[in-house]
Amino acid sequence: MKRPDHEKKARGKLDRRKFLKAGITGAAVGLGAGLGWQLWPRKQEAQTFIAKAADYRTDFGKLISAGLKELGVGPEQVRHKRVLLKPNLVEPHARAACINTHPQVVRGAAEAFLRMGAKQVLVAEGSGHRRDSLLILEKSGLAEVLAEDHIPFVNLNDHAGWRLGNRGGWSALAFFHLPAILRDVDLIVSMAKMKTHHWAGVTLSMKNLFGVLPGMIYGWPKNVLHQAGIQESILDINASLQPHLAIMDGVVGMEGDGPIMGTPKSAKVLVMGTSLPAVDSVSARIMGVDPDKIPYLNTAARVLDPRVTNGVRQLGENIEDVQTTFKLLERIPAQRNIRLA
Amino acid sequence: MGFSNLSWNKAFEDLVQRFCPDGGCAAHRGEMIPRPDATAWACLALKEKENHAVIQRAQDFLITRQDEDGRVYLFEDTPTVWWPSSLAILAWNGSDAHEQARQKTCWFLLRNSGRHSPKRPDAPTAHDTSLRGWSWVEGTHSWVEPTSLATLALNLCGFSQHVRVSEALRMLMDRQLPEGGWNYGNTAVYGTVLDPLPQSTAVALVALAGKENRQDLARSIKYLSEQVPDLHTPLSLAWAILALHAWQHRPRQADRWLLDCLEGQKRLGSYDTESLSLLCLAASGSLEWLYGDQGS
Repeated sequence: MKRPDHEKKARGKLDRRKFLKAGITGAAVGLGAGLGWQLWPRKQEAQTFIAKAADYRTDFGKLISAGLKELGVGPEQVRHKRVLLKPNLVEPHARAACINTHPQVVRGAAEAFLRMGAKQVLVAEGSGHRRDSLLILEKSGLAEVLAEDHIPFVNLNDHAGWRLGNRGGWSALAFFHLPAILRDVDLIVSMAKMKTHHWAGVTLSMKNLFGVLPGMIYGWPKNVLHQAGIQESILDINASLQPHLAIMDGVVGMEGDGPIMGTPKSAKVLVMGTSLPAVDSVSARIMGVDPDKIPYLNTAARVLDPRVTNGVRQLGENIEDVQTTFKLLERIPAQRNIRLA
Repeated sequence: MGFSNLSWNKAFEDLVQRFCPDGGCAAHRGEMIPRPDATAWACLALKEKENHAVIQRAQDFLITRQDEDGRVYLFEDTPTVWWPSSLAILAWNGSDAHEQARQKTCWFLLRNSGRHSPKRPDAPTAHDTSLRGWSWVEGTHSWVEPTSLATLALNLCGFSQHVRVSEALRMLMDRQLPEGGWNYGNTAVYGTVLDPLPQSTAVALVALAGKENRQDLARSIKYLSEQVPDLHTPLSLAWAILALHAWQHRPRQADRWLLDCLEGQKRLGSYDTESLSLLCLAASGSLEWLYGDQGS
């Protein structure tokens, strides 16, 4: 290789076997103290808001507004701000309802932020496999919703302009090339889909941020991140970008061979929070997955937001009331031995 | 072929207006940051209009993005992002003034490949990981689209018999899905066969045209033929028309679909330079830019 133009010494790989042997002990570095999701008023404990949503006819604008209020996110933090919603847009075909963040959830989030006085809401994604972003937008139904609501879309695969240092250091990547729009907005909201994943175990709001990295620099698939380590890259992106909020579409998620080839799983739930490690930890538990057994979630809870290790305060519904066991596949190593006891 | 149509003339004017003072073309309307991929695509489209002055400056610009070893990189600070190399070769084709640069990039491609490893029976993926093609980025695996584009570029420059091109064709055939079509380049993961994607299928079929038996690709051609009436976005539609044209299956309604898609900008906003250029190329009905004189 000629020039590893964006590599540095890594902290060391999060090898799953080694990780499981080591258990969950390990010193928290306390990186979380400077993270973006703590833009919000600092609370002693991490919080998430869980809401039941029977189907996609739910009034998500109302539901998300209520959740934001419960979480302490009010007009004073949103007024005059530019808000970037990052849904999970992967595939446009027949299984799209359980693959992509549903357009009605995106619409609801846009409504909620605009109602609180946001200067602008935009939707942005850089799909991992398909270069034709417009096709995914069209077929997923999101194009129609965005056009009706006059919400602009940014294809993150096709933009760059911001070189951001890697504040995590789990992978060997020294920095990230990101679209400048991510620097220019005030709030970044990860709007993920609740799914199992064949490489990472589960894909939730933190993994969703793979989609902010432009394919034109990281490839289709974003193989640079695979080479650098998927779990390590998830941590590094989150530690560096410091997203502000997560809204998880678990109304219909995916179980089994996710994130694309699995089967729909109706969990009928929306999970929100200003701490992405907390939202992912809670979402995993809702799925019947032990977050401590997923290396990147475990590390995120200890290092990115150490409050999570002390427990997450539930607002809205209790985990037990919405918990539904997502099917895991024994033939997929990342899904073995991750079931919640 | 409807280049007399006002909409197509406007599309070409739009492309010309995207060129920056340094000769490079921006990836989006209204931007002033030139990119080699956008420059190469616009250059190829404008060849149809014989806009020599713009083309020559574009070809010169591409040399400014060429490294000493021959690669053409995306940005100054991303030298490992080498996928624009194949596009630059296509754009330089036919220009005596750029022959040296073109040869240098061809040899760069022939010396380099994606990252490969011996095929393991217990691997999570089903494809043959030992077959070399080309990657989007240095140090990563070979995938369908960059391999297809590099194969096209090398064929055009007289390397069709080279061992690397033969291996790349084998790689593409190995990545063809059992029921036809291609996706970005994984056939199956942990035993689950993945779905094809129209654009990836089209790019692979263009690269394989005239190289592989129609019979071995019949299912892929059928898949794309069935998909194309339902494609309304420029990148997928343009590549699909080009692929079906290359396999003598250009749909009768192709010109209408392409024009409708071009006019879709009123609804979707202005297309990026690559998409707009590909629409123009698909509408031109000429494949010379892909196959040289054989494509006329």
